Amino acid sequence: MHAALYVSKTGLSAQDKQLSTISNNLANASTVGFKRDRAVFEDLLYQIQRQPGGQTNRDNELPSGLQLGVGVRVAGTNKQFTEGTLQVTEQALDLAIDGRGFLQVLLPNGDTAYTRNGQLQINSDGDLVNSSGLLMEPNINVPEGTNKITIGTDGIVNAYQEGDPNPTQIGQFDLVDFINPSGLQSVGGNLFLETAASGDPINGTPGENGMGEILQGTLENSNVDIVEEMVNMITTQRVYELNSKVVSTADSMLQFITQTL
Amino acid sequence: MDKALYISMTGAKNNMMAQAAHSNNLANANTTGFRADFAQARSMGVYYGDGHPTRAYAMTENPATNFVPGPLIETGRDLDIAIEGEGLIAVQDRAGQEAYTRVGDLSVDANGILRTSTGLPIIGTGGPISIPPDQKIMISNDGIVSVQILGDGPEELAQVDQIKLVRPVWEDIEKGEDGLIRLKDGGIAPVDVNVTVAPGFVEGSNVNTIHEFTEVLSLSRQYEMQLKMMQTVEKNSESSSKLLSQS
Repeated sequence: MHAALYVSKTGLSAQDKQLSTISNNLANASTVGFKRDRAVFEDLLYQIQRQPGGQTNRDNELPSGLQLGVGVRVAGTNKQFTEGTLQVTEQALDLAIDGRGFLQVLLPNGDTAYTRNGQLQINSDGDLVNSSGLLMEPNINVPEGTNKITIGTDGIVNAYQEGDPNPTQIGQFDLVDFINPSGLQSVGGNLFLETAASGDPINGTPGENGMGEILQGTLENSNVDIVEEMVNMITTQRVYELNSKVVSTADSMLQFITQTL
Repeated sequence: MDKALYISMTGAKNNMMAQAAHSNNLANANTTGFRADFAQARSMGVYYGDGHPTRAYAMTENPATNFVPGPLIETGRDLDIAIEGEGLIAVQDRAGQEAYTRVGDLSVDANGILRTSTGLPIIGTGGPISIPPDQKIMISNDGIVSVQILGDGPEELAQVDQIKLVRPVWEDIEKGEDGLIRLKDGGIAPVDVNVTVAPGFVEGSNVNTIHEFTEVLSLSRQYEMQLKMMQTVEKNSESSSKLLSQS
């Protein structure tokens, strides 16, 4: 059959995946701590139909051969860990990380997941949890009768008791960093898991050794740039259309041969 | 039967091959750093003996790749670089040999090796570039990679290495089966200090979609003409066999 059919098919499916990536980014344009994805395209291998330099006769050789590419594929999606804009909310349990690093969350199976979403809440036991109710790591318990919590830029959490002017330190947040954050695996719920590609987690105190500072009363917005995504959507749609036109052209050629001959 | 049938057949077959080459360009119209391939037809004459020289078969070939720079797309990412004007970035191919590319969306792997998005190590002054644990990484106009080591202040930037940038002339380079660019003689291109990169940008594909699509359409019409020729040859031989059977 016509090779162009299969080549254009790879173009269509790659643009399709690009559009899914764009729509997921746009859907999360206001998700706190969301990091946008970028689809990475790669040209597939080339098939040599005729070797350049082949002999045409005893004295002459072909100056150029014929290499046909077999299309395009999505090599992967690349998480972009640029920082989102910071938004001041004045809520005592809203945290943002200004700089590198991730907060740690304890999964029900005992593993640790990593997140940039600092919308914390207190559960019925008084423990600090993330918005889906998972315990923070290290666990921080807010004693009963606390009427004010302060979190310092170094992650130290202080609780003020009713009628006591002196705060008590109830815990400290650690941050974790990776040499290649793009290699982290997203598992939904704004959580990331460590992989072989991300490297081992590097623990640190907020504000020291290159770790970001923790800002109380602030949230980190999604780093999705709506204009960029819309522009990408336009080019994706047009390239998709052109590829589908090639498919219909190839199809009408095959139709023509069956009807003419 | 007239051999014109076979001439039309090679024409139709090579039209389809040329279309495959153009559709590959179109499929890669959104691929970062992709370079479009040209396709052209050559007539291959087979003129043996006496008679009218009418036997020329068509042959499609890729004479070259279009190395005209593509559009620069702003991303703002520290590890995205696009070459301004002409030039190529040196990478290590799957076999460990030096090859060249225009793909500049880089990333650092778990061992700190600087790689392209497709996983090929970038070559520095002496082999692959290894990045120490850092809190900020910067790539300068001339490809110097500098980092702010974890825990150091912004005043203490450490230079790690310089990305090897080359600028061989177009006549000397070609695209290989894996999409990477190599010197035709298999050698290694020398560093060219005049090549500059734009950090925070990636280079789009240089495929001209209108041109490619027009080519696909005109090839499709040419293909229809080849088939019409085949039809004519068939009719000719039909009528001659009719004439012969009557006598």
